[in-house]
Amino acid sequence: MNFETSTDRSTLRPWHLFALGALMAATGGVLRASNTTPAAMILLSLAIGAAALCGLALLRTLWPLVAVDYGVESGIVSDRIRLAVEREKSLVLRSIKELEFDRAMGKVAEEDFQEMASRLRARAISFMRQLDSDTPGYRELIEHELQSRLAAAGESLTLGQGSGDVVNDGSSCNACATVNDVDARFCKHCGASL
Amino acid sequence: MASLGSLILLAAFVVCAYAAAVSAVGGRQRSARLIESGIGAFYLLTALMTAASAIMVHAFVTENYAIKYVDRYSDSAQPLIYKLTSYWGGLDGSIMFWVFLLSVFGSIAVATNRERQRELIPYVVTVISCVQMFFLLVMVLNKDPFTTYLTQVPADGRGLNPLLQNPYMAIHPPSLYIGFVGMTIPYAFGMAALITGHLDDSWLRAVRRWTMFAWIFLSFGLTLGMIWAYEELGWGGYWGWDPVENAGLLPWFTATAFLHSVMVQERRSMLRVWNVTLVIITFFLTIFGTFMTRSGVVQSVHAFGEDPDLAMMFGIFMAVILTVSFGLVIYRMPLLRARHELDSWASREAAFLLNNWILLFCAVFVLFATMFPTLSEAITGERLTVGPPFFNKWMLPIGLMLLFLTGVGPLLAWRKSTLANLGEQFFWPVTVSAVTGGALYAAGFRVWSSGICFMLCAFVTGTIVQEFIRGTRVRQEATGADFLTSLTGLVARSHRRYGGYVIHVGIVLIFLGFAGEGYKLEEQVLLSPGQQVEVGRFVIRHEAVIVRDDGQKQMITARMRVFDGNEEVGLMYPARWFFRKHEQEPTTEVAIRRSASEDLYIVMAAFDMQDQSASFQVTVNPLVNWIWFGFGIMAFGTVIALLPEQVFSFAASRVPEGAATISVLLLALALTSAPLHAQHIESALTVPTVPRSDAERELYHEIVCMCGTCGRKLVGECTCSTAAMMREEISTLVEEGKTKDGVFEYFIAKYGSQEPLAMPLDEGFNRLAWLFPYLLGLSGAVGVGAVALRWSMREAADLPLPAGVPTDADAHLLARLDDELRDLD
Repeated sequence: MNFETSTDRSTLRPWHLFALGALMAATGGVLRASNTTPAAMILLSLAIGAAALCGLALLRTLWPLVAVDYGVESGIVSDRIRLAVEREKSLVLRSIKELEFDRAMGKVAEEDFQEMASRLRARAISFMRQLDSDTPGYRELIEHELQSRLAAAGESLTLGQGSGDVVNDGSSCNACATVNDVDARFCKHCGASL
Repeated sequence: MASLGSLILLAAFVVCAYAAAVSAVGGRQRSARLIESGIGAFYLLTALMTAASAIMVHAFVTENYAIKYVDRYSDSAQPLIYKLTSYWGGLDGSIMFWVFLLSVFGSIAVATNRERQRELIPYVVTVISCVQMFFLLVMVLNKDPFTTYLTQVPADGRGLNPLLQNPYMAIHPPSLYIGFVGMTIPYAFGMAALITGHLDDSWLRAVRRWTMFAWIFLSFGLTLGMIWAYEELGWGGYWGWDPVENAGLLPWFTATAFLHSVMVQERRSMLRVWNVTLVIITFFLTIFGTFMTRSGVVQSVHAFGEDPDLAMMFGIFMAVILTVSFGLVIYRMPLLRARHELDSWASREAAFLLNNWILLFCAVFVLFATMFPTLSEAITGERLTVGPPFFNKWMLPIGLMLLFLTGVGPLLAWRKSTLANLGEQFFWPVTVSAVTGGALYAAGFRVWSSGICFMLCAFVTGTIVQEFIRGTRVRQEATGADFLTSLTGLVARSHRRYGGYVIHVGIVLIFLGFAGEGYKLEEQVLLSPGQQVEVGRFVIRHEAVIVRDDGQKQMITARMRVFDGNEEVGLMYPARWFFRKHEQEPTTEVAIRRSASEDLYIVMAAFDMQDQSASFQVTVNPLVNWIWFGFGIMAFGTVIALLPEQVFSFAASRVPEGAATISVLLLALALTSAPLHAQHIESALTVPTVPRSDAERELYHEIVCMCGTCGRKLVGECTCSTAAMMREEISTLVEEGKTKDGVFEYFIAKYGSQEPLAMPLDEGFNRLAWLFPYLLGLSGAVGVGAVALRWSMREAADLPLPAGVPTDADAHLLARLDDELRDLD
């Protein structure tokens, strides 16, 4: 997305510079300060730290306006959206459970339960559909990552062994022929029962 | 440093304007660049305010008296902790602290909701920035805390008001501010939902937690204020319906209403307009409360003083808030219209409607009664007093009704409760309540209001216990686990609901404390050494008046031996302290003997060194400590309700202990009697007077002290010299054979208005004060009734087909859903 969410570990990131600058400025400030009570020095350092934060936040404000490739690296964002949808889904699932519990406590009439539950289930299903259709298959992503890492790590492990263990033992789906995990009950691609 | 501070505030204003504008444009054009830049600017503001705050606190710590604000609110002798808290001790600093808190909260809210509430975030930034802009504008134009003396920098500061140099007062204001400021976040999300038209329930989820967080801090602030008043002011009570206390209470009522009605929207998709309205009103009341305490429109002990400029700025801001907010509500009305159906009056929805009506009644009533003196002065030119008796008269029955609903609500089913269902649910709670009532009657307790309160407390407790037991049983059947595991699992799984029930237990305890007030015993006596007084089962013997000096102050302490029946229980030392340089303003040191059943509370009102005699106010306050304890339980319940889902699934069985620790800490904080430095400042020339007849005693509670510094306390409770003089006058008048009306007339004539009366007389314009609550209650009841009736008349026939009817394509998804539900605990 931008410099803050960059996963490139090798480069020096802006906040490193600001943190370093703040530390140096705080050291200088404390050395030069006339009032040397601990509280005063802590507050002085805090003020300098806040100033560094200001600088960082200013960069954060201006960067989206000037960055040429802004919005290109949006692949990571979908991951967060996915997580958010998953959270929503689990909330709805909890609500359904709670409703079932209410029925067991004798607090909801049967027909009301049906009506409310069907509404919630519809919502849960819409989330599930969203999650299913959303973005690339994560397994493919992981396998891709694994392959590149293994390749980087050396030749002691062959790719065939690595991925074969995972994929070949699975059962394939009758509807779409996707290979699934051994313990899967539903197809990861189309959701059909295995 | 000071000019840097001013510069930062100016920069903050500019950044704020930028954030507001860029976010609004970005949101409208769906430009990721602009939106992100706006969010960046929003964070920048937080950084700037942090820097400004650090500079301000640094100036306090380094005693930079060139800054006027530092000079006014601190001095070199002040302990470090009070130097730090002086930051929010005055008007200018408190506004800056407000902006600082809002920027921090806003940043957290934006950072945590950025992905989930994508469409709303730009407008959330805009709304919060606009609110911040207002406060920054107030500072830049009118109240810059960094203003410096141009010449003659003082060598030492004038010092923080001694009233505020107190541990409770150090945390009470920030706690209230956190509560107030926290309410801005729900408002911003509500506004953003209105602007974008994304008015489904998702914005509510984002704000529920914030509302709860702000609510508990508001409650904490109010409780601290009560403890402080009880321990430090020395009048034997804890809530005096002072305008500033009321300012904190108003948003508390509406936030409580919102926390309840939000459940109706979640469950039934009803009350959408109402929930948005409550969020707006709550926010408005926080601003109104700030306006009330900072503009001088009301008289109060701890208002900041008069300031017409500020009053005007706040007035304009409040008008803008109301116009824009309700304008948007009206504009979005078509989207907000939901299907409202009230299937039955005996349903939880109906109970929530009633609960909301009562809470709103409380808010409007308290607002009206607080503002009535100002209103009366503006219209008739006569300044009045609306004192505690007037408030209590109304709030007592209303509070009992609310307590009753607390018990009824959880027992009712959503939609409709059948008769069999009602019988089954109500049987045990009603039995418990009836047994309690019978036992109290048999034991000879005859105060009806307290009796009803005790019965209702038993009823609510019965309800909650029943809920826990039945819930655990259902879970036991489902999981087959033992009782304790099932109970833990139950709370962990529906932590919001059971956290809410725990909060209700706290409320019950608080009401228990209030009910104790009905059995309060008070004596005002003049004792010579060796003489004793009997109050309830306590006998208190005055032994001597001791004079001591520790260099900083002269302490006049009375030594009193206390007997419980015939058994001696110890010595108590009520005192007056005369600080050097402040000899004319002695402080009252209350002596309190605490126990779970009651507090023995002794104040030395005056003394005579010649014959060692002194006058005392001795009070027995039954059950008062349960109020503070109740708050601890409330905090515990809130923690349960607030903890994120993951915590419970991660360590379901460990949570209660963790939360208990927090509540015990809060409780310890609340119950620490701390140093009993009373700070009520008054003249040393107090004349001891005690009531000589019942008529006199009654009048003591119907006439208020006119000294102007105690916040119109009842003459029977105020310990200042003006009150003593007025008590003397009352005695003389009663001796002359004057009736109550005669005494009232005397005081009205003397002060030229009805101000000395605790309640305005029921005549002329004042009749409005007496009529208003009836009108309000009636119109509210008619309104709620009409709405409920309309909803209940809706034909059930045209129900839309539930969206979730499974189609073939969904069949496998449904099967998967069932599977996931089975796996879910």
